Amino acid sequence: MTKDRLADLQAGILALRSNPNNALQVVRQMSEHRTMHIKPSRWSWNRFKDFMHFYIMLGAIPAALVITYVNLFIGPARLAEIPEGYVPEAHEYFPHPITRWMAKHINKSYQQEYELMCHHIYEVEYEQKLRKAEHRIKQKMAEKQDTQAYYYQPVTSRNERSIRVNTETDIEMSGTN
Amino acid sequence: MEDPPSANGKTNSYAEFMQAVYRTVDRPVTWFREKVVVSNRPDHVYYHQKFRRVPTIDECYTDDLVCRFEAQQQFNRDKLVDSEIVQLVRQRYKECLISEQPDHTRKCAKLMADFQQVSENFCMKYSDLGPLNNVKDAYMKQKHRMLWERRHGKVGTGMKDQDAL
Repeated sequence: MTKDRLADLQAGILALRSNPNNALQVVRQMSEHRTMHIKPSRWSWNRFKDFMHFYIMLGAIPAALVITYVNLFIGPARLAEIPEGYVPEAHEYFPHPITRWMAKHINKSYQQEYELMCHHIYEVEYEQKLRKAEHRIKQKMAEKQDTQAYYYQPVTSRNERSIRVNTETDIEMSGTN
Repeated sequence: MEDPPSANGKTNSYAEFMQAVYRTVDRPVTWFREKVVVSNRPDHVYYHQKFRRVPTIDECYTDDLVCRFEAQQQFNRDKLVDSEIVQLVRQRYKECLISEQPDHTRKCAKLMADFQQVSENFCMKYSDLGPLNNVKDAYMKQKHRMLWERRHGKVGTGMKDQDAL
């Protein structure tokens, strides 16, 4: 009897309860017996554990395994004389295998960066010289006051014509107002 | 490190015991390295990079910035090489001092003179130029030193009187 009543109560079904006045009272008990456990937040601790797992399982352990394997079974290179007529590639100037791999696939070589810089300096120097020449020309023109050649700005009406054509087409199609 | 074999055949049991303790750790480790590790490694080599000589700063035109950049890079590389040379000479001198300690003034005199000469040359070329490595400043320093030597004689012999010049 009590078991059925308990099951009914937990299912939220109406129940009957007797009161001291000898009458039956309708009682609706629709909640379960669970209560909220009030406690401080564990959000920071959970996030810390997440970060620890992430950085150790995906960072430290794979890196340690790879580095151990490379150091044990591939090992550093030994120094040798450059053979006659052979030009070594950039990655063959480093001893450790991981630096060699990075020099081969990731980093730019010394020669590449050097030549890039040389070219950059060449371009910048050219622009510098042009600017200095312009300055000298303007100075001479200001001194002598005998030519307007450098100040002449050539004008094209290409843009104005196209704007006029577009405006006329718009007015034709959609009218004014 | 093992001691050399003794001259009169007598052994030191304490030293032998300590060497035996060392061997209990060293033997397995050496075996592992020689049989397992080194045998399975591929034999690859690396080389020492040699750079071609490019025109130095005194052979560059004044408005040629690319030539100046290349001279600057060569100067930087030469400075590294020269520092290593000074370091080697200094290390040799120090090792002589330590190993010949009570007689070092007599036995290491040549090495000391070499070290003095090498570090003096290094400082003549590279020192007192400020924190930035500038090849043009080094060149000007050389020019000023040559002018000074022309006027006053060798560096270290004092300045001549201004009126007498």
